[in-house]
Order: sequence, then structure tokens, then C-alpha cells
Amino acid sequence: MKDQSESDSGMRKHPIKPITLWNIIRFFITAAFLFGVWLIFAFRWDSYAVLSGLAGSFVISGLTYKVFIAEHEASLNSIVPWPLRLIIFFAVLIFSLYTSSFKMLVAVFSGKGSPRIVYFKTRLRSDLARMVLSNSITFTPGTITLDLNDDHLIVHWFFCNTRHAKAAGEAVKGRLERALSRAWR
Amino acid sequence: MRITLDIIAAVSFLSTIVFGTAGLIGLFRFPDPYSRLQSGSLCGTTAVFSMFIGALALAPNGAVAARIVILTVFFMVSSPTSSHIVARFIWNSGVSPWKPEEKD
Amino acid sequence: MRLIMLETMRWFLLICALVCIIRLIMGPTSADRLVALNILSGVVLAFLVIRGVSEGRVLYLDVALVYDIFGFLGFLAIARFFKDKLLGDGEGS
Repeated sequence: MKDQSESDSGMRKHPIKPITLWNIIRFFITAAFLFGVWLIFAFRWDSYAVLSGLAGSFVISGLTYKVFIAEHEASLNSIVPWPLRLIIFFAVLIFSLYTSSFKMLVAVFSGKGSPRIVYFKTRLRSDLARMVLSNSITFTPGTITLDLNDDHLIVHWFFCNTRHAKAAGEAVKGRLERALSRAWR
Repeated sequence: MRITLDIIAAVSFLSTIVFGTAGLIGLFRFPDPYSRLQSGSLCGTTAVFSMFIGALALAPNGAVAARIVILTVFFMVSSPTSSHIVARFIWNSGVSPWKPEEKD
Repeated sequence: MRLIMLETMRWFLLICALVCIIRLIMGPTSADRLVALNILSGVVLAFLVIRGVSEGRVLYLDVALVYDIFGFLGFLAIARFFKDKLLGDGEGS
């Protein structure tokens, strides 16, 4: 009896509302993501496909929304990106892909280069944005992410010209990180 | 319209051939696994990505084009992941990177 | 025009795959073999897409999609296996 009242007061001390609201938001984000992927894969718009996809995505997101989005994520904006800024980020990514490809092409034919392993930090907060940053660093030829701890990146960089960690970070990820920090807040 | 698509496809296929050849040359030219992985991502990422753009320009109908767009998005996720796995394996197995002789 | 381009890309990708296989066979360490395998998976993916476009069938693209999604699970397994072998060697000797 006493135990229950203790836990009750404990519950009252923490506000209940935001946590349950956050659960509902997580559930619906997961369901919307699954339903979008289903629509793309099925590629038909008759009622049977749409309804069965909707039912399946709701059931699966009810089972797995706790795994899909971690609870400690700060806000909605750290998961759902701004669509227009995401497109700008993709443009920046493709542009830097081709420029660094040409640099790498010259390096292959001339045989020159100064590969070194550099360490730097990122100032992005959201986990998803960090993952996208390290993936896009690996996606551009010339830089490969070797390890990613919380906000600490170990990168093998083929055109290293500095020993300063901050300058190296600016040269490797400057443009990408700026575009990314606009997309995910 | 058709001529424009053909030109886009020809340019991107040409860049596929250039980048793919350079990546394969670098795969045999560089001495250590890190640099091989760098030049290999020239062949395995840039060349394949340009080829996807060319295939998108040549797609015969809507279903094929939609599949190619989805495939490109998945490729942008999965290709860095797999090369990160390989790089992390090299890093964990203790290979130190190659340095050219003339610079320090 | 289109047919010539698609045929050229098919033969080019086949030659790329053969060169990657040469590196895969003669690579001195297991790391080099993994690098070659990484490139080979991308080239095979591109080959499937070119095949699907030139035939105009969706089936090849579905196969390519599944190959792409499950491709890196194989890498994870192989890297894990080699790592265990390396660690076992280090501890044994």
C-alpha cells in the first residue's frame, strides 16, 4: 500500500504527459516511415494494397517503435529533417562527391598524396545526424571514417596537409556539417 | 527530349568508365589497404553512382525509374556502411597507414 | 545508340569484375581481399541494374535491391570471422 503511494507520488513528481505524448509521436513516425516504404516497394494504389499496408505498418510499429527511435532523443526536430534543407544537403553531398573524385583521380595518376589518420570532433547533437555525417564522409572518396564514438571521429584522410585537429575537421567535414546542421536543426 | 536523355546518359557512362578505370588502376598501384580502399571507393562508389544516373536517364518506364531511385537511396546508405566495416576491420587489425618517402 | 551504350557498359562492368577477382585472388592479406570484395559487390549491383534497364524488366531491379540490402550483412559476418581468427592467433601465440 505504502509502496504504491510512494510510486504514485513519484509519478506525480515527474510529469506524465510529455512521456506518453512522446511515445505516441514515436509510434506515428515509425508507422508513417514503414507505410511510405511499403508504398514505394509495392508501387500500386488499389485499396487492397493500401489497406493491408496500413494495417501491417501499424502492427509492426506497435511492436518495434521502442527500438526504432531511442527514447533519449531530444526533440522532434532531431529525427524528422526539414525536407527542403535535406534536398540542399543532398546537392552539397553530390557536389563534394564529384569534386573529391576528381582530386582522387589526379592522385591516382600522379601517385602523390599524404595519407594520415586525423581525429576531430563534431558539434552535431542528434544521433541520426551524426550517423549521416559519418556516412557521408565515407561516401566521398578520399576520406574514410574509421571509428565514431559519441562525438569523436577518427578519419583516414588522403590529402592531409595540416596537423591541427580543428583545421583538419574544417577541411574534411566543413561544408557537409553546415548543411547537415541546418537540416536536422 | 530523347536526345537530351541520351546525352545525359552518355556523359554519365563516360564518367563511369573514367572513374572505374582510375579506381582499378589505384587498386593495383597503392601499397597499403587504406589507400586501396580510398581508390577502390572511386570505382565502387562514384562510378556506380554515375551509372545509376545514366540508367535513370535511360529507364524505359515509370516502375523501373522508381526502382532505380530507391536503389540509389539504399546504395547511398549501404555502400558507406560496408566500406566503413572494412575500414574498421583494417584499423582494428593494426595496419598503420602508408606514408610517401619524400615527405617527412 | 542506346543499345550500343548499354552493351558497352555491360562489357565494361564485366571487365571490372574480372579485375576485382584478380585482386581478390592475389591479395596478400585478408584486408586486401575484403577491399576487393567491397568493390566487387558494387560492380555486381551496377551490372544487375544495367541488365534490368536493358531488358526493361522490374525483376532484375528487385533482385538488385535485395542484394544491396543484404550485402553488408555478409561483410559484417566475414569481418567478424577474420577478427576472431586474428584474436585467436594473438592469444594462442
